Amino acid sequence: MSEVIFEIRNIVKKFKKLTALDNVSTTIKSGEVVFIVGPSGSGKSTFLRCLNLLETPTSGEIIFAGKNVTGHEIGLNKFRRQVGMVFQHFNLFPNLSILKNITLAPVKTHRMSRKEANEKAFELLKRIGLYDKKDSYPSQLSGGQKQRIAIVRALAMNPDVLLFDEPTSALDPEMVGEVLSLMKELAAEGMTMVVVTHEIGFAAEVADRIIFMDQGRIIADGTPEEVIENSSNQRVKEFFSKVL
Amino acid sequence: MKYFYTFLFLLFTFLLTSCSEQEKPELIMVTNATFPPYEYVQNGRIDGIDPCIIKRIADRLGYQLKIQDMSFDSVIAAVQSGKAHVAASGITVTEERKKQVAFSIPYVIAKQVIIVPENSPIKNSTELKGKRIGVQHGTTGDLYVTEKIQNPERFTHGPLAVAALIAAKLDAVVVDSEPAEVYISQRKNLKILDEPLTYEEYAFAINRKNKELLDKFNRELQSMQKSGELKNIIDEYKSRHSANAADNKVESDTFFGKLGASFRINFIKENRYQYLLKGFFNTIHITFFSLILGIVIGFGVAIVRSTADLTGKMKLADFFCRIYLTVIRGTPVVVQLLIIYFVIFRSIDVDKIFVAIIAFGINSGAYVAEIIRSGIMSIDKGQMEAGRSLGLSYFQTMNQIILPQAFKNVLPALGNEFIVLLKETSVAGYIALDDLTKGGDIIRSQTYDAFLPLAAVALIYLIVVVCLSKLLGLLEKRLNKNE
Repeated sequence: MSEVIFEIRNIVKKFKKLTALDNVSTTIKSGEVVFIVGPSGSGKSTFLRCLNLLETPTSGEIIFAGKNVTGHEIGLNKFRRQVGMVFQHFNLFPNLSILKNITLAPVKTHRMSRKEANEKAFELLKRIGLYDKKDSYPSQLSGGQKQRIAIVRALAMNPDVLLFDEPTSALDPEMVGEVLSLMKELAAEGMTMVVVTHEIGFAAEVADRIIFMDQGRIIADGTPEEVIENSSNQRVKEFFSKVL
Repeated sequence: MKYFYTFLFLLFTFLLTSCSEQEKPELIMVTNATFPPYEYVQNGRIDGIDPCIIKRIADRLGYQLKIQDMSFDSVIAAVQSGKAHVAASGITVTEERKKQVAFSIPYVIAKQVIIVPENSPIKNSTELKGKRIGVQHGTTGDLYVTEKIQNPERFTHGPLAVAALIAAKLDAVVVDSEPAEVYISQRKNLKILDEPLTYEEYAFAINRKNKELLDKFNRELQSMQKSGELKNIIDEYKSRHSANAADNKVESDTFFGKLGASFRINFIKENRYQYLLKGFFNTIHITFFSLILGIVIGFGVAIVRSTADLTGKMKLADFFCRIYLTVIRGTPVVVQLLIIYFVIFRSIDVDKIFVAIIAFGINSGAYVAEIIRSGIMSIDKGQMEAGRSLGLSYFQTMNQIILPQAFKNVLPALGNEFIVLLKETSVAGYIALDDLTKGGDIIRSQTYDAFLPLAAVALIYLIVVVCLSKLLGLLEKRLNKNE
């Protein structure tokens, strides 16, 4: 639990005039479950998207497993294979069956043979109880099922880290539970996870660490108790008093 | 996507094999075979006074004669650009034309006459002004009327102008006297005014640089004139043609009797349906391959354009793609076809079908490109992000995720483009390609009947379009199975 997997050094991200990230530095250790919370527009999604370089930082460095991944594009695809991502709007591929959604990347990136990828997909689908949906298409699934498939799709690449970008925000309330319980299982298994969410209760329950962001900066960082209950920062206190 | 490379390969294999090779010294003659008795198509062969004279001259000079049929306004250009050695198409010698080509000594003195309805108030040429006058585009009649009287209505074929006169769309038609005799011999209610509009000389047009060929031609013509051979040929064809023309008259009183007789003349007699059949296959041939070429170009350009839009890369390629789109979409397809045939392939002997495929393919590619691009841009950007976040490359995501969805979304628009393409190939006749429309034209020029050949051509296009729409509907259904 002590090995550092992500080291983020002074990253800044500017969109035209807006500064979304203002000199953010932190480290994430292997096996750690880190939740990033904060008000809308605080830069938490941008921060998460910088971690797998869906957004290129304007300046600063990201060290992944000892290698600097910012600044050179050559290893980009290889790097991303080790960092899975789950999106708010699932972003399943509507033109492919559930099985193909899961196996496309492992097969196309030559991580696995078609047979291995299928076996892996069957195993994961059985685990989440959606094996019978393997030949369905995304449009035939409920929101909760779609998001669980999206998690499985990311898992099929055997990533070292999983990034979650508000994974339950687009779901009907009764479907949130199934997604959260899957995430909880993964956390318990020791998967390194970075989660942006508004589910503060869930964060308090599952997180090893909570990072609170506001106006593009990290203004609190610590265990759930430290950040949610005992923060000395006025802005943090105010936020949690409103959402809890 | 894999199939595209296979398609591309097949396409170019095909295109290469359709280039013809030259073996013997050839004399290429161009003509517009809708000008009886000087030149006309009979039993699939081009015959007439001009082909006969040129054939005799070619034999004497030891050439292998090859005759190409094209629109009259293109024959001079063909000689000028070196695509043909001689234009023999009942061409009148004028000062304008002398600037462009060299003329042989005249082999016939002809006159332009005025055809009017039997009961017309027009008595002579002075009364033509202000009337609706029809001419064949590019003929001396056209030049004379334009210069001396007024802007006439220009038709691609003489018989079409006569058909318009019969349908009371015109008050008079100005054409050469010989074909005029033939036209009115088949129609009861027409007459030729006694006083001709103008006299003129017919001669063969040869490239101005080819002095040697011109001298040879003049020598042979002179000797044929002296021996009386020239006069014999002309008289023979004139009498043969007026006898032939009499056969084409429809004589029946009932509507269905007329229709049946007209059907026999237009399609059965001399196996004329074969013009439509051959035209149909050429049209399908051109449409099919230019469609594939268009898709290949379209996908390529669309990918470059949207990659530039999405990632800011490939700026230079994007720049050239934009120029391509602007030029192709900003000019008419028929002009592009003529430029490709007469300018780009100016001195190269290529198969016309190949030229048409290139021209229509390049044209269609521009429209396909914008359709596909709109499809790519309509796909949610989360799809690209999801693909990239899984470690797929930009082009893998494009091929596997974006393009299949984009293609499905734009299928109706693409289908529409294919239908447009099929119908646009009807201008292939401009480079003397015997497509479906041209097939109908040839029949019309032989039978002087506008209705049935046009109706048949329209019906065939309609059937093909309906079948194409059905096929696209099936494809759409298949692609929609996951929704």
